[in-house]
Amino acid sequence: MPLETEATAELRALLADIKPDATDLLGALHRVQHHYGYVSAEAMRVIAEQLRVSVAHVYGATTYYADFRTTPPPRTNIGWCSGPACRLRNSVGIRDAMLATLGIAMGGQTNDGMVGVTQMQCNGSCEQAPQVWVGEAVVGRLNAARAIRLARALRDGADTSSVISETASTNGGGH
Amino acid sequence: MGIPGDTYATLRANADAVWEEWNRPLRPRINLAEDTSSLAAGAHAVWVALNRRAEERGAAIDLGGTAGYGLQWLNPLADITWPDGTRILYGPVTLDAVDMLIDEAVGRTGAADRLAIGTLAGSRAGIASIEAHPFLAEERERRLTVRVGRTDPASLEHYIATGGYFATARALDRHMEPQAIRQVVIDAGLWGRGGAAFPAGVKWNFLAGAPGDEHVLVCNADEGDPGGWANRVLLEGDPHLIVEGMLIAALASNAHYGYIYIRSEYPLAVERMRAAIRDAEAAGILGNDVLGSGFRCTFEIVMGAGAYVCGDETGLISSLQDGRGMPRIKPPFPANAGVLLKPTNVNNVETYANVPLILMHGAEWYRQYGTQADSGTKIFSLSGNIERVGWMETPFGTPLKAVLAACGGVAGGGVLKAIQPGGPLIGYLPGRLVDTLTLERAPFAAQGAGLGSGGIVFIGAGSCSVDLNVLFAEFVELESCGRCTTCHGGNQRMHEIFRRTGDGLGRTEDRHNLELIASTLQFSNCAHGQLSPTIMRNTLRHFEAEYNAHLHGTCEALRCPGLARFRITDQSDPSLVEAQAICPTGAIVGEAGNRIVEDSACIRCGACTDVAPRAIVREAAPAGTELPRRAPAAPPGTASAFGVPPLSWQATGLARPEGGMGGPAPITLFV
Repeated sequence: MPLETEATAELRALLADIKPDATDLLGALHRVQHHYGYVSAEAMRVIAEQLRVSVAHVYGATTYYADFRTTPPPRTNIGWCSGPACRLRNSVGIRDAMLATLGIAMGGQTNDGMVGVTQMQCNGSCEQAPQVWVGEAVVGRLNAARAIRLARALRDGADTSSVISETASTNGGGH
Repeated sequence: MGIPGDTYATLRANADAVWEEWNRPLRPRINLAEDTSSLAAGAHAVWVALNRRAEERGAAIDLGGTAGYGLQWLNPLADITWPDGTRILYGPVTLDAVDMLIDEAVGRTGAADRLAIGTLAGSRAGIASIEAHPFLAEERERRLTVRVGRTDPASLEHYIATGGYFATARALDRHMEPQAIRQVVIDAGLWGRGGAAFPAGVKWNFLAGAPGDEHVLVCNADEGDPGGWANRVLLEGDPHLIVEGMLIAALASNAHYGYIYIRSEYPLAVERMRAAIRDAEAAGILGNDVLGSGFRCTFEIVMGAGAYVCGDETGLISSLQDGRGMPRIKPPFPANAGVLLKPTNVNNVETYANVPLILMHGAEWYRQYGTQADSGTKIFSLSGNIERVGWMETPFGTPLKAVLAACGGVAGGGVLKAIQPGGPLIGYLPGRLVDTLTLERAPFAAQGAGLGSGGIVFIGAGSCSVDLNVLFAEFVELESCGRCTTCHGGNQRMHEIFRRTGDGLGRTEDRHNLELIASTLQFSNCAHGQLSPTIMRNTLRHFEAEYNAHLHGTCEALRCPGLARFRITDQSDPSLVEAQAICPTGAIVGEAGNRIVEDSACIRCGACTDVAPRAIVREAAPAGTELPRRAPAAPPGTASAFGVPPLSWQATGLARPEGGMGGPAPITLFV
């Protein structure tokens, strides 16, 4: 048996309480992703050992759920809301504009890892439509032009919080 | 062991004191509403500012928290409660309103009257009661949501002082038979709110009758319908109501363990439900000796991970069982073999939330509202092209037209083109039906649609039915679990056909193929596949002319990328400089006075009309227009469209299978 790496030992400590047949898998995957930003092949192996299932089983589940990523996340992720209320207000234009600005496809990220875009689901803050999430924060009442400025700023290394406050101020409150 | 009634009385006495202080505080208190919508509107920054300014000014006030009252377009909401019990709701309380609100709390001079929405308690000259607000015109009496926006959702005391856990304590104190509890629920006519509308008490009968002592309850809080957030209102606004509903269901069906499966899009709901369970355990309401009765009951929160079909009960059970959340074939039904093969009952959040009300007040009281077939009230979430976005609780049978009026009508006074009720599996109906539809199951079913879980999206004239079908077809394709070929293949084709139609490449035979897909999809295993052609069917039935026009090159709403284009109409407009700069594909070319939109480079994002609305128009594309460019593919090695790169065998550390599969194994997920 190969020597255990430091990373594996850390994963084992993180997942020590994960047990078979105790509905622990989703919690384990969320915990790993929260800690590392993504679910690595090594993490899947440790989870599989803890649950006494095959790695293929864990891989199947990890890739089944939209939440989990198997590669490191970008510095800033833009979550694009795919819901109907946003769709009625040009969310498709916003999506295509951001992807074109960054030169990536949905789910991808820029080569330097600065910005990525993922598809998100409606959470019922539809009064903000059309909206995106920059990191955890909602940037609402967008239009395609503002989305492009936002994507360009993040691409060029702007700080997430400054981008959010700038976009919010151009919204003028929006009410 | 003790006597449940006595245990409850002790809890109640303490709770009443806390509640009294909440309603008649020693110092004025500002309560900021914190829920997912408020946070989206910046409530967190307002909370920080309120704390900072109150401290800097040395204001003699306190700060508290509630959940939103339903008027989401006015978020962030906050209320002030004064020592005499007067309570007024304000909104939108943005950062620049923080000082104004503190002024009002301290001085009561009317400083924040401009933001006053209505009084929640007491009265004030010039400010009407919240019940008089036009958005609440169709609400009769808040029953499910009586606490939401009025209590602190993190407070067990507030829940108890407002009647919470009383019904449970009384049932335990009187040794009420499980069968009798189930009968009250059946008599009340409560049916499942998740969409399938199966009578809840009857479902519990199945579980109660199952063999063994390890019955399991599951609360389905995987509210995945885009445009529907009725469950979130309760999860975030009154978490103990759900805990109590499940506790009563446990008593009624001899269950001792429960899972609450909450979608990951609702992190605040996860946090609040966790806290509610923790507090209920600490108070002896959950655990090994519920209210001193000797009954044991424990609940656990499991957070979902972004899979719509986990909202199907067998999909949810599969997900709980440490695997892919794929719905399975029934039988066996969950009542026979559910979570980890134990007898299981799955109900929606709102179904459980109705139960304490029914047990508290009886079936007859419950039936005061609603219709014969659909008793009680329902939370509806309302969004789309309307003036007022939010949620309301109305009795079943409320006219949809009145609800639209309460929402302020169509935004900008336009025509209502369509109604999209119940999520992406349920329906797409023409706007003219708003005059006749009432919010109950039968009239929606008669139109080939349904109420679903209570989300209604109102769609204005500027939208295109084909474009919306692209949205919903893409959704059902992406969210197919992949088990049935009918579903993952059929929805892939349906999506492709609508996309192609929007690109201006619709074909005559598509119509036949769509109907073939619809008739094939009904042979899918679960509701996802069976119902995924509903919106397409509704469209072909009610919007046939619009669909056909696309085959002949016309998208009247100019939403479809292949049937619209942009053209500069005013070369002298100075904003064209900005339009040229904003275009993400460099499609606006040429020098000042001679600029054009290069159609083959234009992706139809509309950014140029955002910045130069008077100089550039979106217009119908003439025949033979070059198709817009699709977004470029992801660079190799970064990520696929699903963010999932091929995982090589080397990376997993596993031995490569014998014979074949050389190189990295490409993973294909129904794309």
